[in-house]
Order: sequence, then structure tokens, then C-alpha cells
Amino acid sequence: MPLLRSITLAHALALALACCIARTHTVAASASVDYVHAIQPVFKERCVSCHGALQQKAGLRLDTGSSTRQGGKNGPIVSQTSPDSSPLLVRLRTQDLDERMPPEGEPLTSDQIEAIRTWIEQGAPSPAQEIPEHDPRDHWAFRPVSRPAIPNTHRVSWIRNPVDAFVAAEHERLGLTPLPEASPEVLLRRVHLDLTGLPPTREERRAFLEDTAPDAYERAVDRLLDSPHHGERWARHWMDVWRYADWYGRRNVPDVWNSAPQIWRWRDWILRSLNDDKGYDQMLVAMLAADEVDPENDIDTVATGFLVRSWYALNPNQWRRDIVEHTGKAFLGLTFNCAHCHDHKYDPISHEEYFQFRAFFEPLGLRQDWVRGEADPGPFQKYDYSTLRKIVRNGAIRVLDEDLGAKTFIYLKGDERALPPEKPTASPNVPAFLRMAPLAIREVALSAHAHRPGTQPWIRDALLQEASAHLTAAQRALTTAESQVRASLSDTNPPARQLSARLAAETAWITASNRTVLAQSELTALEARLAADHAQFLEPASSNVTALMTWASHAERFLAWRKAQSQLADARQALALREVEYDVAAPRRLAEGQSAKQIQDARTKEEEALAKARDQIAQLTKAADAANLALNSNNTSYASIGPVYPERSTGRRRALAQWLTDPRNPLPARVAVNHVWSRHLHAPLVSTVFDFGRNGAAPTHPALLDWLASEFMSHRWSLKHLHRLIVTSNTYRQRSSPPIPRADPVSAPNPNVDATIARSTDERPRDGADPRAIDPDNRYLWRANVGRLESELVRDAMLAASGDIDRTLGGPVLPNTEAETSTRRSLYFEVFPEAGGHDTFTELFDPPDPSECYRRTKTVLPQQALALTNSKFSHDRSQSLAARLWTQLTDTQRASDSSAFIHAAFEQILSRGPQPEEIVACRDFLRRQQTEFQPTPDSATASAAAQGAATPVTSTNPTPAPDARARASLIHALFNHNDFLSIR
Amino acid sequence: MSLRPHSTARVPRRPRHGFRRARPRFHALARRGRARPRRRACSHSRPASPLLPRAKSVIWVFLSGGYSHLETFDPKPALNQYAGKTFDQTALENPLKSGKHAARFRSVVADSINVRDVYPIIYPMQVGYAQYGQCGIGITDWWPHLARCADDIAWVRNMWTTDNDHAAENQIHTGRHRLDEVQPSLGAWVHYGLGSLNDNLPSYVVLGGPTNSTTRDSIGAHYLGPEHAGVPFALDPKNPLPFGTRAPGLTDQAQANEYELIGHLNRLTGVEYPEDDALRARIRAYELAYRMQAAVPDAMGFPTESDSIQRLYGLDRDATRTAGQRLLSARRLVERGVRFVQVYPSAYGTWDSHQKLKDNHEKLCASVDLPVAGLLQDLKQRGLLEDVLVVFCTEFGRTPGLEQRGGGKDGRDHHPHGFTIWLAGAGVKPGTIHGATDELGYHALGDGHYVTDLHATVLRLLGLDSRQLQFPGRKRLEIDYGKPITEIMA
Repeated sequence: MPLLRSITLAHALALALACCIARTHTVAASASVDYVHAIQPVFKERCVSCHGALQQKAGLRLDTGSSTRQGGKNGPIVSQTSPDSSPLLVRLRTQDLDERMPPEGEPLTSDQIEAIRTWIEQGAPSPAQEIPEHDPRDHWAFRPVSRPAIPNTHRVSWIRNPVDAFVAAEHERLGLTPLPEASPEVLLRRVHLDLTGLPPTREERRAFLEDTAPDAYERAVDRLLDSPHHGERWARHWMDVWRYADWYGRRNVPDVWNSAPQIWRWRDWILRSLNDDKGYDQMLVAMLAADEVDPENDIDTVATGFLVRSWYALNPNQWRRDIVEHTGKAFLGLTFNCAHCHDHKYDPISHEEYFQFRAFFEPLGLRQDWVRGEADPGPFQKYDYSTLRKIVRNGAIRVLDEDLGAKTFIYLKGDERALPPEKPTASPNVPAFLRMAPLAIREVALSAHAHRPGTQPWIRDALLQEASAHLTAAQRALTTAESQVRASLSDTNPPARQLSARLAAETAWITASNRTVLAQSELTALEARLAADHAQFLEPASSNVTALMTWASHAERFLAWRKAQSQLADARQALALREVEYDVAAPRRLAEGQSAKQIQDARTKEEEALAKARDQIAQLTKAADAANLALNSNNTSYASIGPVYPERSTGRRRALAQWLTDPRNPLPARVAVNHVWSRHLHAPLVSTVFDFGRNGAAPTHPALLDWLASEFMSHRWSLKHLHRLIVTSNTYRQRSSPPIPRADPVSAPNPNVDATIARSTDERPRDGADPRAIDPDNRYLWRANVGRLESELVRDAMLAASGDIDRTLGGPVLPNTEAETSTRRSLYFEVFPEAGGHDTFTELFDPPDPSECYRRTKTVLPQQALALTNSKFSHDRSQSLAARLWTQLTDTQRASDSSAFIHAAFEQILSRGPQPEEIVACRDFLRRQQTEFQPTPDSATASAAAQGAATPVTSTNPTPAPDARARASLIHALFNHNDFLSIR
Repeated sequence: MSLRPHSTARVPRRPRHGFRRARPRFHALARRGRARPRRRACSHSRPASPLLPRAKSVIWVFLSGGYSHLETFDPKPALNQYAGKTFDQTALENPLKSGKHAARFRSVVADSINVRDVYPIIYPMQVGYAQYGQCGIGITDWWPHLARCADDIAWVRNMWTTDNDHAAENQIHTGRHRLDEVQPSLGAWVHYGLGSLNDNLPSYVVLGGPTNSTTRDSIGAHYLGPEHAGVPFALDPKNPLPFGTRAPGLTDQAQANEYELIGHLNRLTGVEYPEDDALRARIRAYELAYRMQAAVPDAMGFPTESDSIQRLYGLDRDATRTAGQRLLSARRLVERGVRFVQVYPSAYGTWDSHQKLKDNHEKLCASVDLPVAGLLQDLKQRGLLEDVLVVFCTEFGRTPGLEQRGGGKDGRDHHPHGFTIWLAGAGVKPGTIHGATDELGYHALGDGHYVTDLHATVLRLLGLDSRQLQFPGRKRLEIDYGKPITEIMA
């Protein structure tokens, strides 16, 4: 019984823990204490972060026995003669929480303290050759990137490029033999999925298998790196690392609290940049500081979406905390967040340095720009607690330095309210241990185009065009109104009707002519303002600036007067009409048979309305008089075009970006190379991908990591160069399992299968040692790791294999509710870290957590099986592919047994031909399904009812034949094949 | 020490029963593997070691929006005595001047954006109350059924949290304030630490919520990985699980044939790739999926439940039906070995009574009182109360002062400084009243219990030490561990 067993499990657990405690106790009670096993681990876990190499609080180090015996600046801490008065023990035992060590967490257990006491009593002995903790700055990842020599190995024929040499050196050291190259079809599928996220088409597969040239694979790699889909595939990878998220907050209100609705432009920028092979360093610079490095380049400024993404409406501190944490983790592999509350426990980052790093981002604000060809979204709506924020989908969102003098306060305990009374502040800087040179922060003077976007020529043109179009429309309306007036003069209706029609036409004509004059004045005022702006901001030295400003000011006031006049005229017209209506209404109502009370009530209402209208006219008259008076004044003030931002930027982020991408910075290239490697080999070189600090994991292949980082930097940080190096290596091209010798020679009808097996079985491992025994976890890469399609790719690969895929690149974010029916690739659908942030299908295959996803998890869950077997999406794809494949077969193939269809299905879905046993199984399955789908007398009603339900095929083919349904069922089963989800 | 090793290639542990490689036809196997009710496995005499599990599963009932502790389980006569007066006009210490005020409370919204008002005018209790049971707990008149269970329950009246907004809903489940790093939810830690009792059902099931997108963290697993996250079941017994039902037009046999082919082809591939653990896991996952498709609707439907049981949960009345269905489902799920059932009897924010508190609470209490009392009785009469821990909680209490925002005159605002929750069942000392708030119901007295104390308590009753739940590469803070509330443990 599982229930019983699990209880037993818990019992066992409890027992094991009890044993642990008992063992410790035995140690404590025994006469001698083993420093290495009983004391040192306790010090290491609880004491050394403050009393070790990183920090020496009170001048004390506890990382070795000798330093412990030596004591700190307050003298010795252990006394053999009176152990109980040893300061060490006193501080461990005291109840005074201000005195007790360690200051955080639970006190040491009484067993631990007893062991320490015994050890002190014994004279605190320790081994002679103890090695103290290394200087933190000496940590491998903090040392400059070297370019290690390429090792010489015996396995020369296996070395395709330096990557292999580094891997082979480890193989030789450990006695590992790498597996032979994967079969061409397995390799082709692998590299297709890794580089574009889409499986090869049958045509691509055939062409590749028939290509016997020695560089067939390399050419395939080039083709894939040139494919626009490469950008889509790797954009999604980097979006994981860079925390891409669409807006979230209160979706059901809706109310934007985090990120921004236009953030997808950053996604498209990533995609394009990858396809263009923009240097990784240039991408980092753009994401952190495009607005300072190239302020007028509105293609790159959207890259600051990296910073926009962390925006949080309710708390500006939180925005900066997230930026600091994830700039550290994503680009540097450093956990700055640990130094938010106190000095870092493992890495040399002080609490103050945390805030120095934050200071780079202190002046930030958001800016919303008008995008050519769209409606102007207006400026970014700042957050106000009591106002809902509109979901603005137009325009581009980016950062700017908004408050250049903003101070960075150093608060305590990770709580912004815990600010010491003296209010200490921090200036921007990078942690001291990573300062290659003094940081040069220079202010950036922003051009007029950059800080007054209204001065940009295209905006000027767009505004003029809009105003002219407005005028033309008004003129056209005037012409129409004129002709209606003329028509009303020749009206043959009875006189009363004539009069009212004529009055209406005249009113319309007056209104239209007012509008025309107004539109003309608007155009004039706009032209005047544009001219004044141009002179003032783009040619400030020109002599007529004041004259133009005066003109603009006058034009603006003239327009205001016109508007007031126009409003007044409109109101007067309306009043006139109302008066006429008032005069004729009563007799009409009487004629209609209304009661005296009804008529009187209506009159009262109308009189009130008339009084109101007269009041309004009085007010408008006043306003028009004021506007008229204003015409007489003479000044230069006018509203310039568009929003106005600060003329300068602090240059802090530019300095930070330059420091990050300085080749002397030891971290960014290593961190990036590790991310790329991890996504090709399905295992990173440094398993703690966001922590390269002292608490992180050591690299499995340190020399390879350094060589790749150095190669990366010396090839202008080209990611495509890095991809090519990795995927053309023999390391990458290995099989994932040793070939199985086949007992019976293959008698498959497909020649490709023969070719495949012949190629792969040629190369068997020659050495005798079993690598599985030496390196069961494949840390040293003696075989390929099997990958699994990421959540997006499960959907994309089904769309691609079925042929339904829509290959449109980029564009606005798509709602998740459409994911089931849409055929666009998955990365275009909204992603946010709250419920509904993934569609229900994708949700089950380990989609990225947009709050933090430096490495994807890969689960195997029954719910995934349910999604693949029961979703409408997988049924739709299956039916569509079954029909498509069937039409591609020749009549002979259709007439013969089903093997041609089975071949086609395997090739299309699994990118490989079927094995003979598989053909047998599938044929048998098709037969059984066909029988099952055959309407039988007793099941006819049920199945007819069932078929009546909305299966997609019913729309095109209301009663699919049993054989067609059986084929769709086979396709459906193959989409559920483990190898469809795998990257072998 | 970590209880569970970590690897990014997550493979479910081998099912402890069911799958045998030798079975020729998967379909037959699936039929036989269907879930059966489990026999209770524990004897009555348990050794008294603190790490021994006292509970096998948990029903965690969460009322979203913040029920008023004052109008439920912590009535305060002083509120009536001083009604309409300000705190300063009473003979009591002004709670706003207590150091606890600043120490325990932290708004998500930056001070520069909003300062939440304080409400110094005392608002009287909106309902009467009486003492119940041997323990003599004061309960308001809105809980007539639950009041009869007073001696089965351990009442904790000195809870506090730090968030004064509804992200506190995540806080009581994850232990962290919205502005701190997100942590896995309690249910996810339980799943991570203990695994499953029934492979045909998910181990951490969520019923009726969370109904707001912002409260997903309440059931999330974050860095533990998605397999430990809560699985929300829809309440429609025909389709409780996403993709849990066969496509229309497909017969059982036709689907069984497909499953069989998938299994067969995967096993053929497995011969070729013996290194591939994920493939073997995938084969098992398909077998589980097939059984889950049958087991989940079985657990979620009530045709076998007698009329009297249905009445016990209030399924016969409109007012109580929703909560009753969810709680009865919860009982059926724990019976089938689900480890942690998180039940939301009411939707997001329902109890949030800034205005018209009386109307709001009167109606809502009536919707929950009978069903939750029914759950306790049902568990008790089945003997399940010895294995199942029931937790009943909300994210914060409500202000003793009248909320005056926007001219309000009949409600209370959010109150993180003191609130009441209760526990019953496995390992709980029944009829205990633990802790108190001050006379005005403002501050939890003494150290009180931050929400992670409740986590530590639940974990301890399940046989887990919160300090030993660790995940490689993730730093947990002191505040995350909490301390078990030993005073309420049997």
C-alpha cells in the first residue's frame, strides 16, 4: 500500500535523522574530537563568512585551526586551561542576542558547542598543513579570461576544432571514449531544432541525406544560421535570461503594474539583432544604455526594454531592486541581491557596493515615443494611486534619465524605510574587486531630436499632413453645405417645411465655414510653431528666432480667438434652432393630442434648456472677448511641439555598459558562453548559470570555458561564430547512446534507413572501458545529452510538422486565448508571471517563469500526456497532417499496403524512417483503428452523436472515412512519441 | 541538509505500484490500476518523537479578502464599550503608538506614492457572540454550526503578517512579502518534501481558486520546479483537469489502442537508447495519464455520496452549495491520498469588507459555516480526523477602527497586525485557545505568530522540519523557517 509505505518512509527519515543526532552526540561524549570532521565544518558553515578570507570581523579568522588559536584583535579566543571562559565559548553560549554568535539564525546546538569545548580542552589541535581560505579575488571566475593553449591529444582524428581538443583532453585523462557521430538524420533534426526550433522538412531531410559532399553538414549549419527562424529560436532563449514579460498587474481590471504593453518591440529587436549577428557586447550596451550611446536611434532605444520590463508601478525601489538583481545575474553571474540587506556572504560585494551599483539606475524614468505610421500614443502616463492606467498599445516604450539629481540612499535590512538618520547615499560605481580602471562617467548632452522628439522631421511632416488633411476635409464639407443651401432655395415643399429645411441648411453652412476657417488657422498656427521650434532648437544661432517665436505666439493666440469665436457661433446657432423649435413645439404637441400638463412640462424643460444655453453664450462671449484682448499683447510664448525631456543624461548607464563589455571584465563573456553552451549540449559548463561567485559551481571544463570566452570576444562577440564552433564540433555531433548491434540485417524497403544504419554502425567505440561506469552523469561529454523540446517548441514543431505553421516574423503580442487556434509561433504569445501568463497547453511543458528563468526545468508529467492526447490542438494538427501526407502519395502507394504512409509519417514527425518492427506495429494499429472507427449497428448512434461534436475535420469532411480517421490516429500517436518531444 | 537531490532533468519517481513492464496490453492494465479508497494505515499509538508524522494530508481552507477576526473568532467587548470614541479617548493604550505598528507592517506601495490612512475611531462589533465548548472560546453568532465543533479545534488568535494589501494572500502561502524574493508555496514544499501517496492523482490539488491572476504565487512552486506546483481542478466532475477528457468522437477503445501503440513504439526506441531516463519516465507518464483520466473525475463526482452526507456539507442549499462541493471534494481527495488540498470556498477578495461589513460577513459566514463544520464532522466520523489536518485561514484581519476612506461608515480596512486562524485534526490539541490580541483586537500580543509559524506547524505535523527543506543554490532566510506552534500540538 503506498500509504503505508510512505509512512514507513517518513519513519525511516526520522530514524535517519535521529541517527545523525546520535552520532554527533557520540563524538561529543568521546574523549577526543576530530577537528576536521566535527569542528571545521561547523565553523565553515556558520562562522567563516564573517571570520575568514572574505571578511575578518574583529580581526579574527576561523578558517584554519591555527588562526583560531591565534585569535583576533581582542586577543585569544580559546583557553585550554579554562575552556569555559574562552571568549569563543562565551559568545556561543550567551543568551544576550546582541552578543551571541553566530548573530543570525539558530544558535549552535548544544552538541556542537560541547564538541568545541572538548576540542578547546584538548588544546584545539588541527592538522599542520591546513590551507587557509583563498583570497576571494582569486576565485577562478574573477580572474581575467585567459586564452589557454589548445591541448594536444592522441585522439587526433576526433578533433574537428579546438572545442574537441579541450573535451578530448578530459576524455584521455579519465579514460573515456567518445561515442561516434550520430546518424545523419538524427544529427539533422538535432541541429535544426537547436538553431531554428523547427524540425527539418522531408525535403530538407532528403536533400541532406543525398548530399555526399564532406561539408554537407557545415553547409546545413550555415543555412540554418542564415534562416530568419534562427532569430526566433534564440530570441526565446535570451528572453528567458533577460526576463522578458508582457505587462501584468491587474489583468482583469485592466491595470498595468509591471512591464509595458509595447514591450514586444524589444522582443523583435532581440530577434532582429540575432539574425543580423549584432555583437553580444553591442546588444548589452543597447539594452542598458541605447538612449545614452545613440540617443537618436529609435531602432535601438527599444532595447532598453530590458530595464522597462522590471518597472513596477507601485514602488520605484522595487523597480531598481529587480534591475540590480537581474543585471547582476544575467550579465555578470553575480548575486548582487544577496548584498541588498548586508555584505555578501560569499563574494566581495559590500552592502554599500550594492547601492553603488543601484545608483547607475537611480535617475531612471519611462518614456513613450510615437512610432512612425501609427497613431501618437501621447506621453507615458505616470502612475497615480487613484487612477487606472490605460493599456496603451501604440508607440514604443523606453527608459530615460528622468531625475538627474536623484539620490541613492543606503538603507538597511532590505527595507527602504530603514534609513539611518544621517541618510547615507551612494554614488554609482562597480564593486571594487571588478574595477579594471576608474569608472569614467561623463554626462551625455542629448540633441534636440532626442530630447524634444517633436523636432524630428518625420513628426513635423506627419503633423503637417494631418493638419492639411483636416483643412481639405473641412473645405470639402463646406462645398457640400453650400450646395445644400442652394438646393434648399429651390425647395417645393409647403412653406413651413421649406423654412425649417432652409434654416437647417444655412446652419450647417455656417458651421462648415467656421470649421474651415478654424482648420486654416490650425494649420497656420502649427506651421508657425514648427518654424519657431526649428529655429529655436535646431538653428539657435539664426537671427530670426525671436521673430518666429513672436509669430508662433501670435498664431497660437489667433487660433485660440478663432476657436472661441467658432464655439460662440456654434452656440448661437444652436440657440437659434432651439428658439424656433420652442415656438413651433407647443402647437405641434397640441395637434398630436398631448395633454395640457404634458405640454406645460415640456415647455418648462425647454425653457430651462434655453436659459442654460443663454448662460453658456454669455460665458463664451466673455472667453471670446478675452481671447480677442490677448491678440493685442506682444510676446514670444507658445507651446512647442511634442513632449520635452531633460536635455542631458547622466551617462551612468553608458559607463556601466562600457565596463561590462570591456574585454578585461572577467565575467560577461564567460557567463554568455556558458548560456549558449548549455542550450546546445543540454548541460552547462558551470551549472549555477546565474552564480559564478564563490558559492557557485566550478566549471567542468575550465580551460574550454576560458577558450570559448576568449574566442567569443576576439570575434567581436559574434554569437553565430560561437554557435558554429559548437555545433560543428565532434563533441556536439556524438550519438546520445552507444549503437546497438543489430542481430538481423535490415530488410526495410526504404533505402535511407539502410544508409543511416550503415553509416552509424560503422563507427563503434573501439576502446574497452565502459564510460557509463567512469562518468555515469556524462559530465565529461562522452556522449550527447538528450534534450527535450521547450514548451514553445512542442507547439511550434507540431505546427511545422503538420505544415500548418504561419512563418510571419515579429509583430505585436498575441493573446494566449488564441494559441490553440492560431498557427503563429509560440514566442509571439503573451507571457507574464501570473495566472493566464501562458496558454493552457504550453503551461504544462515547463514554460519559462518570466520572473526568473536562467535555466529551464524539464519535467516528465502525466498532464503533458493528457495535453498531447486530448487537446484540440494536437487533434487538429494530426488531421491536417494525415490529409496532407495522403495527398502527397501516388495512387500506387495509396493502393498498396500502408507502409508508404507510415514512412512519410515517421519522416515528417520524427525526422527518421521507421524500423521494421515499427512498421509492423503501425500497420497493425491502422487495421485495428479502422475496425474501431467502422460504424457498427449497435455503436452507430453513439458514434454518430460523438462525430457530430465539433471535431475540426467535420467542417471540411463531415464524415471522414474510417481509414482516414485511422491515419489521423496514427499521426496523433506519433506526435505523442517520446522522440517527437526529444532532441536526440 | 536537503531532503531531495536536485537535477534539472526531473523524472518522477518510480510509481510504487501499478506499472509492470511485462504486461502485454496497456489498456487492461489501466483498468486494473484505477484508484481505490485507501485503508487507514496508522495505529493509534504513535511514539512521541517530534519528527514523527502526525498527519498524512492537509486540507487548507483559505478565505480570500481578509475576514474580520473581530466578527468571527476574536470578539472584543471593548469595541462596543468605546464605540465612536478615538483610541486616545479610551482608558487603553493607543495601539497606533505601539512600536509594533512600524515593526510589523510594510506596505507594497512606496510611501512616495501612497500613505494608507489609519483609522482611530472605534467601530463596534457588528454581531453578538457567546462562549462555546469546554474551551469557552468566544465565537460570533454567525457561526452556529462551527461553534458546536469548538472543542475539536485549536484556535490561534495572535497571527500577524506584514503586507497590508492583498498580496498578503501570497504571503500567507509563501511566507514572503511582495517586495521580497518569491518563495515556493507551502503546498509545494510539502509535495517536495513528502511526494505523493497516490500516483493516479496529483499530490497538491487546488479547488476553487486562486481566482485572481496576481495570486498565482499562492500555489506556485517557483524554484522547486513546476512538478511541485498546485494543480487547480475545475469543479466540473466531467472535466476537472485541463485536457482531462477524451476528444469527442474517440471511443475508449480507440484511445486505448493509441496509448498502446505509443507505449509500444516508445519501448522499441528505449531498446536503442538505454541511456535515456526521460524516455522511461515518459512511458510511465503515459500510463499514469491514462489512469488519471479516470481517477480524477471519480474523485470529483459525488454520485456515491449519500444524501445525508450531501446535506452535511450543505449541498442541498444554494447558500452553502459552492463551499460544500469544494470541501466534500477535498475530503474525497485526501481519502484517495492527495497530500495537500488547498480549498478556496469563496472567490478572490470576497471577504474584503471595506464597506457594509455586516451584510458581507453575515452572508459569507452563512456560506461557509455549515459546510466547514460538516467537513469536521464527516472527517471525525470516518476516523479521518486522525490523519488529516484541517487549516482554516485568511490573509489578514480587519481594523478595529472604522474605515473612513471615501466617506465610509460601515466597514473595516485591512489589518495585518492581528488575526485569527484555526487548525483541527491530526496532531492538533483539540479545544485549545492559543494567543490573543489586545483588548481592542489591534495587536497580536507577545511575539505573536508570523505566517511562517503556521507553515512550520503544518510541516512539523507532517513530520517535516522546516529548516531541512532546502533547495540547492537557494538561500532561505530565518523568516522563512518559522517556529512550530507547539502549544497547539497534541
